[in-house]
Amino acid sequence: MAKTASRVIDVRAEAERKSAGLRSTTGTLAGLEVTLRNMVRPQHVTIQYPEQRKAYSRRFRGVHVLTLREDGSLKCTACYLCETVCPAQCISIDAKDVDDPRIEKAPSRYEIDLARCIFCGFCVEACPEEALIMSREYDLAVTARDPETLTYGIEDFTERPQIAFYGAGFRPHPEYPLVESYVPGERDGTPER
Amino acid sequence: MPIVTIDGRQIEVEPGTSVIQAADQLGVEIPRFCYHPDLEPEGNCRMCLVEVDGFPKPVVACATPVVDGMVVKTPHTSPVASRAVRGVLEFLLVNHPIDCPICDKAGECSLQDFYMHPDYGQHRSHVDSKEKVHKAKRVDLGPRIVLDAERCVMCSRCVRFSENVTGYAELQFIRRGNHVELVSFEEQALQDPYAGNFADICPVGALLSRDFRFKRRVWKLDYTSSICAGCSTGCNLRIDHYDGHIERLIPRRNPDVNRSWLCDEGRLSYKQLAMAPRVTHPEQDGEKALWVKVTAAADERLRAATLGKGLPLAALASASATNETLWLFRRYVEAAFPRHLLEFRLAQETEAVRERQDKLLRRIDKHPNTMGALHLGYTAGMGLEGLAREAEAGRLGALLMLYYPPLVGEESEETKDRIRRLLELAQESVLLTTHHLPYLAGAKILLPVAAWSEEEGTYTNYRGTVQHANGAVGSPSAARPAAEVLGDLMRQATYGRPETEPGRVFAEIAEKVPAFRGLRYKELASRLATAYPPEGRMPYGKDGFTGH
Repeated sequence: MAKTASRVIDVRAEAERKSAGLRSTTGTLAGLEVTLRNMVRPQHVTIQYPEQRKAYSRRFRGVHVLTLREDGSLKCTACYLCETVCPAQCISIDAKDVDDPRIEKAPSRYEIDLARCIFCGFCVEACPEEALIMSREYDLAVTARDPETLTYGIEDFTERPQIAFYGAGFRPHPEYPLVESYVPGERDGTPER
Repeated sequence: MPIVTIDGRQIEVEPGTSVIQAADQLGVEIPRFCYHPDLEPEGNCRMCLVEVDGFPKPVVACATPVVDGMVVKTPHTSPVASRAVRGVLEFLLVNHPIDCPICDKAGECSLQDFYMHPDYGQHRSHVDSKEKVHKAKRVDLGPRIVLDAERCVMCSRCVRFSENVTGYAELQFIRRGNHVELVSFEEQALQDPYAGNFADICPVGALLSRDFRFKRRVWKLDYTSSICAGCSTGCNLRIDHYDGHIERLIPRRNPDVNRSWLCDEGRLSYKQLAMAPRVTHPEQDGEKALWVKVTAAADERLRAATLGKGLPLAALASASATNETLWLFRRYVEAAFPRHLLEFRLAQETEAVRERQDKLLRRIDKHPNTMGALHLGYTAGMGLEGLAREAEAGRLGALLMLYYPPLVGEESEETKDRIRRLLELAQESVLLTTHHLPYLAGAKILLPVAAWSEEEGTYTNYRGTVQHANGAVGSPSAARPAAEVLGDLMRQATYGRPETEPGRVFAEIAEKVPAFRGLRYKELASRLATAYPPEGRMPYGKDGFTGH
């Protein structure tokens, strides 16, 4: 291998030369310039939450949504894969028979303890039916530490008005469109305001 | 005796042994659907094809008897056998819906395991999935079984069980080829009192237990080996539980006791544990009390009512208690009360310990440990009626009773009345029991004890076989194993410092009681009923599951 020419640099001397004299003064001025600019023309980093909200990515992992078939029944087949994969063990499901002979079972109870949920999205990835997806809903603050308040059931995951407001978030196959009836109100995905 | 070589390993077996049995003894896994060790071999599923040196084609291992010098190669080592089995598997999967995620058998399904097996599974189907023949799903076969005809692989285990084991012959195949389907006789509900076994022997998810359906995915379950407490047969079973709740009972194979079967009553006996509210705290004269105080009070009051007045103590113990508990009960009564009447039969009609209820497993005597009580020196003396008469005449000082309600059936009205009367008549009564039942309300002191499935111990079945049961789930609140409670009672007035740990109590029994001589607790506890397939050999199953 040919030996490449190289210049030897005294790192310490170089550092001293660069930070010395005029440069250190201009550096301070440069900093002051930023301060001055923001004094004259303020740029808000914060927003007026909750009146203003930020639009989050379509892959945002917020509160879950149970999707529906066209006839309004749950797509969930109660296979327990989400319950099995859940690292926080916050999902609990009971299954029941349904009238439709083509359908083996459907959940009679589908609960996620959102206080325990870590929003990892494994449940959504495990779901073979895209019956469980996530929304972009993120504000889950509650005023009581009652375990019931953050344990959501089937109705919460299908019928809450927030779902339409925030729109769909993370799901494994975003390339396929969500049927209108899946998530009420979901259109182009970006929430207004 | 013939010596056979399977996959390069040699074994000497009894003449007449089939290749698959020899392989099981060796621990070589041969896939199978229709073969079951307690059913006649039929050879219809063709899953157990093996290559035998000198044979032109692969043969079925389940119906081929070994001959001396036979050299067998299983699908693990023989490409010929592997190819054959792969073809069979593809054929069986042509019409199978492969709906494992919503199938209750998933996790303990032979078809699923074989399909995933590296040596003969994971094929590519030649038939498009759209061409699958669809059959009836969710067929109601009575209170125990639900049939999904699509998932059936036509192994006919259920048909043979129904015909040859119970004799009800209620299941049969109809039609042929692609359209073959399992149906019950005239599409009626199954009458078989052993119908629950269909779900166990079905290698796939076609016949499912209605009780366990949708309840819990099998990989979530914890397994505990136990003995059925439903009758005096003492069937070996496994308690499958999750989070402290029993989810199902399934048989463990024991060729000497129950083979691979379990009756429906025994299978559902765990539901009886919820028949009434449990006794959760000791009660003294109707009020909650603390264990430390109540044991002292119980002992004192019993002695005051008997020794103080020169009257005998009536000591009644249920034959549903473990040998260890019965032994400590007897020791306490003998040490503390010189005059006592030691009884164990709560109902006179249970005198026939050995009497059969049907030709397979069930017995008239619904106590799991009648033989143990007899061996431990309990007698059927004057009975409840006699004791009540004594109490009425004022010839009885006090009553000490250990009572477990039956797990199969219910106590007869007559017996209930007798118990109620006896508790009312007794001046002083201490009752160790599990449930709050109306006919037990008269007890002065109530001590909560662990029910079956909550404590460890041994039971002696009708034949005198001593079998070990493990505790699977916890007792509610302050309930404790009866042996511990009796140990505390003995310590009260220092009648001795008895061991209450089941193993140590058993060692004492084995030393002193002839019927138990030579038995060792550890051996009993480790003597899990023969697992089928041989434990730890197959890629699936834990703890001797018999379903395959």
